[in-house]
Amino acid sequence: MTQNSAAAPAVRPLTGRTGRRRHNAWTVRLCAAILVLVVAVAVLAPWITPYDPYLADFGSLWLPPSPDHWLGTDQLGRDMLSRLIAGARQTMLGAIALLALATVVGVTVGITAAWQRGWVDAVLGRVTDVMFAFPGLLFVILVIAVFDSGTGTAVVGMALAYAPAIARFTRAVALDELARPYIASYRLQGAGGLVICVRYLLPNMVSTLLGYLVVLFGEGLMSLAALNFIGFGAQPPSADWGLMVAEARNGVIQGYLGPALVPGLTIAVVVVATNVVGLHLSDKLAVRK
Amino acid sequence: MTDALVVSGLTKTYRGAGRGPRVVAVDGISFTLAAGGSLGVVGESGSGKTTLAQMIVGLAEPDSGTVVIDGRDRRDLRRGRRARLQRATEAQMVFQDPYGSLDRRLDVAGALADTLRRHGTPKDRIARDVAALMDRVGLASRLANSRPHELSGGQRQRVAIAKALAIDPTVLVLDEAVSALDVSVQAQILTLLDEIRAESGVALVFVSHDLAVVGQVTDQILVMYRGRAVETGDTDQVLRRPEHPYTEMLLSSAPGPRWQPERVAELRAALAAAT
Ligand SMILES: Nc1ncnc2c1ncn2[C@@H]1O[C@H](COP(=O)(O)OP(=O)(O)OP(=O)(O)O)[C@@H](O)[C@H]1O
Ligand SMILES: [Mg+2]
Repeated sequence: MTQNSAAAPAVRPLTGRTGRRRHNAWTVRLCAAILVLVVAVAVLAPWITPYDPYLADFGSLWLPPSPDHWLGTDQLGRDMLSRLIAGARQTMLGAIALLALATVVGVTVGITAAWQRGWVDAVLGRVTDVMFAFPGLLFVILVIAVFDSGTGTAVVGMALAYAPAIARFTRAVALDELARPYIASYRLQGAGGLVICVRYLLPNMVSTLLGYLVVLFGEGLMSLAALNFIGFGAQPPSADWGLMVAEARNGVIQGYLGPALVPGLTIAVVVVATNVVGLHLSDKLAVRK
Repeated sequence: MTDALVVSGLTKTYRGAGRGPRVVAVDGISFTLAAGGSLGVVGESGSGKTTLAQMIVGLAEPDSGTVVIDGRDRRDLRRGRRARLQRATEAQMVFQDPYGSLDRRLDVAGALADTLRRHGTPKDRIARDVAALMDRVGLASRLANSRPHELSGGQRQRVAIAKALAIDPTVLVLDEAVSALDVSVQAQILTLLDEIRAESGVALVFVSHDLAVVGQVTDQILVMYRGRAVETGDTDQVLRRPEHPYTEMLLSSAPGPRWQPERVAELRAALAAAT
């Protein structure tokens, strides 16, 4: 007994990553496969929907799953599978646009603050802090109240709500990177600020930013869905998943769970999958560094 | 003939951490260095060597004092690409940390080509110049496509030196450039530096805490203690007949034939009493 415990290694190797692994390999692979599938469906959507996703058929409302309609039909008799497929495209495009815009704004602000330091950093930091403290959804609703509801406004509003978090993260990573002597060496060579930031600093930060952005993608997708659900984003007859859930709400009371449940679950699965993949990427890239 | 580097009255004070006292990192340092000359800057940790080096190349702003290279004041307010490139040809620096001082995304040839391109080498000559630079610093051509993580510490410092040479500066400052390397690799790099100085006429400022290393590459020595220059002179003379107790202490601190721990303690006590 005592001998056994004495035989156990007293020191764990410092390089061990046991403490960092949050998911086992199969979970990560499954989640990655799900994401690949969703992206493929989104890309191929116009060609693979079995029915017209917008065609109402009042003779076949609330149909349960059958060989004709694998996922049944909704409150207007539209084929659920077709709507789910068309919705994949719209939902993913919305989330990608949101993330792209938020990333461009956030990364630009973060790098500018880190490079300039001084008052520029102070001002940008203050603005970022204020926006950060403001609840994102509330901010978007304000934007929509001032402008108009619709996918475009929702995406832009959400992007502005997410940009501060990206700016903060980018600034921290950039400060760390800028302190390295290779950056000083570029300055001594006479490279200009813009060239250093865009051509050298940014590519060296990509691997650190990537995992974070993938996680944010899932979050953004969920926020957009929530916005669409409460009616501030996409408008009928759009097949956006969040809107599909909202439109099928009445059915739940009448006992028709499918049309609300299917897009709802899909959103949940995709969000969890992006989270798992994103965290895995951050861990792996952090370990490599 | 104008001196390559004229430093006069350089001073820099850092605000202490939090409410801590102000630190006078460099306090009125002056010296001159002829083209092709070499100066060793020695001193214990915290004596202000890195701060001095940074002010010479322009990575730190002096509170007062001037740095003049090739007759031109480094505190030059002109902006823009041309002015930056011009300043780059005046002074280059090799850093202590061989891991952090190279861009991890660029391989050896890529880093050198990037530097050459920035300084206007025409496209059709770049490949040839890259090969020549690698050859000059003793890097085998098979390493051309190796990235920093695939190189040893000594090889990385050779790349850093080659990058500096690509710009052909008047002054090359090396801050603890061999401190992270083992003794045999140190010796190789020091020999390389000697050769380069003889060939190109670059003026070297060689910063180190190690008197023995400095003795090998420099003609003159400047001993720093708490930001001040406590002793300057020809390397041989300073090493053989140190005048300041601090220099003597540095000499007897180094483990080796002259190592006298009791004497070090004695000198340190005397020094503390004097300041
Ligand atoms: N950026 C800074 N901010 C505040 N204090 C600093 C800064 N850089 C250096 N100092 C202080 O200035 C003094 C001189 O530091 P410096 O790095 O020049 O010493 P050094 O001789 O290079 O030491 P080492 O041999 O350890 O590299 C030290 O007391 C240090 O704490
Ligand atoms: Mg130092």
